[in-house]
Amino acid sequence: MKTRRSALSTTALVAVGVLLAVWTLLPVYHMLVVSLSPSDELFAGRLWPEDPTLTAFSTVLTEGDFTVERFWLQLWNSLFVAVVSAVGVLAIATLAAFAVARLRPRWAGLLTTSALATYVIPLSFLAIPLYKAMANYNLLGSQWALILATITFGSPYALWVLSQYARASIPSELDEAATIDGAGAWRIYFQIFLPLMRPPMVVVGIYAFLLAWNEYLMAFLFLSEEDSMTLPVTLGNFLNSDQIQWNVMMATALFYALPPVLIYYAFQRNVSSGSTAGGVKN
Amino acid sequence: MAEVQYDSASRIFSGGSEVRAVDALDLRVADGEFLVLVGPSGSGKSTALRMLAGLEGCDEGRILIGGDDVTAVHPKDRDIAMVFQNYALYPHMTVGENMGFALRLRRTGKDEIQRRVADAAAMLDLTTYLDRKPKALSGGQRQRVAMGRAIVREPSVFLMDEPLSNLDAKLRVETRANIAALQRRLATTTVYVTHDQVEAMTMGDRVAVLRDGILQQCAAPRELYDRPVNSFVAGFIGSPAMNLVAATVTDGIEIAGTTLRIPASALGSVTQAGTPVLAGIRPEALRLVGDADEGIDMRVVLCEELGSDTYVIGDVGADGASHRITARVPAGVRAEPGRTLRLGLSESAAVHLFDPDTGDRLN
Ligand SMILES: Nc1ncnc2c1ncn2[C@@H]1O[C@H](COP(=O)(O)OP(=O)(O)OP(=O)(O)O)[C@@H](O)[C@H]1O
Ligand SMILES: [Mg+2]
Repeated sequence: MKTRRSALSTTALVAVGVLLAVWTLLPVYHMLVVSLSPSDELFAGRLWPEDPTLTAFSTVLTEGDFTVERFWLQLWNSLFVAVVSAVGVLAIATLAAFAVARLRPRWAGLLTTSALATYVIPLSFLAIPLYKAMANYNLLGSQWALILATITFGSPYALWVLSQYARASIPSELDEAATIDGAGAWRIYFQIFLPLMRPPMVVVGIYAFLLAWNEYLMAFLFLSEEDSMTLPVTLGNFLNSDQIQWNVMMATALFYALPPVLIYYAFQRNVSSGSTAGGVKN
Repeated sequence: MAEVQYDSASRIFSGGSEVRAVDALDLRVADGEFLVLVGPSGSGKSTALRMLAGLEGCDEGRILIGGDDVTAVHPKDRDIAMVFQNYALYPHMTVGENMGFALRLRRTGKDEIQRRVADAAAMLDLTTYLDRKPKALSGGQRQRVAMGRAIVREPSVFLMDEPLSNLDAKLRVETRANIAALQRRLATTTVYVTHDQVEAMTMGDRVAVLRDGILQQCAAPRELYDRPVNSFVAGFIGSPAMNLVAATVTDGIEIAGTTLRIPASALGSVTQAGTPVLAGIRPEALRLVGDADEGIDMRVVLCEELGSDTYVIGDVGADGASHRITARVPAGVRAEPGRTLRLGLSESAAVHLFDPDTGDRLN
């Protein structure tokens, strides 16, 4: 009876899992099918193209079309913006989390709450004011505009995650021991805090990377030059032409989707390892 | 090497109501002495220790180390080393790095660090674990690393906050002896916090008993046991705890209608017959006597066989006005619940008399 019940619930779970996987993968599959189809067969409605071709991919890689004539540079731009944003968010959020969770000033709670309160206003509302601000700073057209905006929007959440972790998982006695051992706040930050914050920093770093990597609206507003554009803007621009080259667009989109997947697999292990285990007896 | 002194030192926590976690503490720890701070939970032991470390401020009074006022001195400049209850080892550093961390910060030479870490490791039986991370150590080994981290510093004062409370009972007894021996060998002034009075009695040169932030008594273990200054110390020190029962002074002391004769000299300042007192009699001061002898009758409630001896717990006095007391009797005494035993005072037994209102010692 018991085993039948568990077999039943396992079946149900698998069914739900399969459903979700199909739901998630179907668009990706569709992208793949379109990107492999020759230009005249894009909407033939087949499950698999009759004679699949890699032309679209090679077009992208060789920058063989005006839509992708800056593909490699724009891929680099995307990477640059995402990496710098992630580093910036990590730098600001770890410092803030250290202050909030370790130095514990009176206003720590207020700081965290007000930082999170910025999320009450949706990003799209702020796009125009930000555009004006960037214009004032003479940053329009510069990738730094996008980087600064991403850091602004990524930091509050990062601060929240990091300070929660620091409070819960790094005992205050470690700081006290280090203080007695002769370490000042900066040394504790670099030699005790940062090494022990690795797991949440990986999570937050990936979050900030993806935030910048996926950003379209602000990238579109701030970056108008072909040479400074990031890939989402390029992808958006495909839709501006009369003859939309869906296969090239989908091939570009697949390349664009690749780095996040790689990053996820590369850091998957780091995320769950508890690095503070053992230092303190629980 | 240094003398430590609390000079009317207080720590006041505000927030809601004001809490005097440590209240006008006056305490002097001699150079090389092992002083134990003991008291029930929340009595301010940790706070007092942390004030000495500089981790907690000093709201009133002063703290002196080696004769210097360090009240406003940063922890790192107080030349102290602290062992925490949870050890607070740096999880990402090896045992060797943990022990050498403070020396590295002090820009001690590499060779010197290595020598001192190796010495401490040898002393604590940690040599084979120097390259391991704390995660890969047993509780006892972690405890020793925490000790080692303090030792390599060669500080003038060791501070320890319940360093044994995370060990199992057997290891605790073993480590207790090791720490005491090590301290005697290094002759470093040590302030040791514990809530375990057995630890306090066995390890300390002197023991300071705290209650609600107020120092009750600071004396050698023997003195604390023999002449507790008040009923709190009397009840706190000693295991099983001292029996404290309401009594009246007669030509001896009368407990539950029975008079136990004690020498007049033992009555001390209490001369007037009829004075109500709180009489303190240690379980080991009671012995079984025959039915014809003078003694109090106890109805046995529970009998705890310890192997070496037996604790008999029972009630004396009439129903409704009875007192629960414990007697320590030789092993093998059969005392089934419900039976009545007659208890007398042993030959040299002391009876402690306390004021029933203030708890202060009277004799
Ligand atoms: N940071 C703080 N803020 C407010 N009150 C505090 C603080 N730290 C300690 N206290 C209070 O001070 C009193 C003494 O605390 P302390 O930690 O020194 O006790 P303790 O004797 O070490 O107890 P234990 O044996 O449980 O460790 C307690 O009443 C406690 O609630
Ligand atoms: Mg404590």
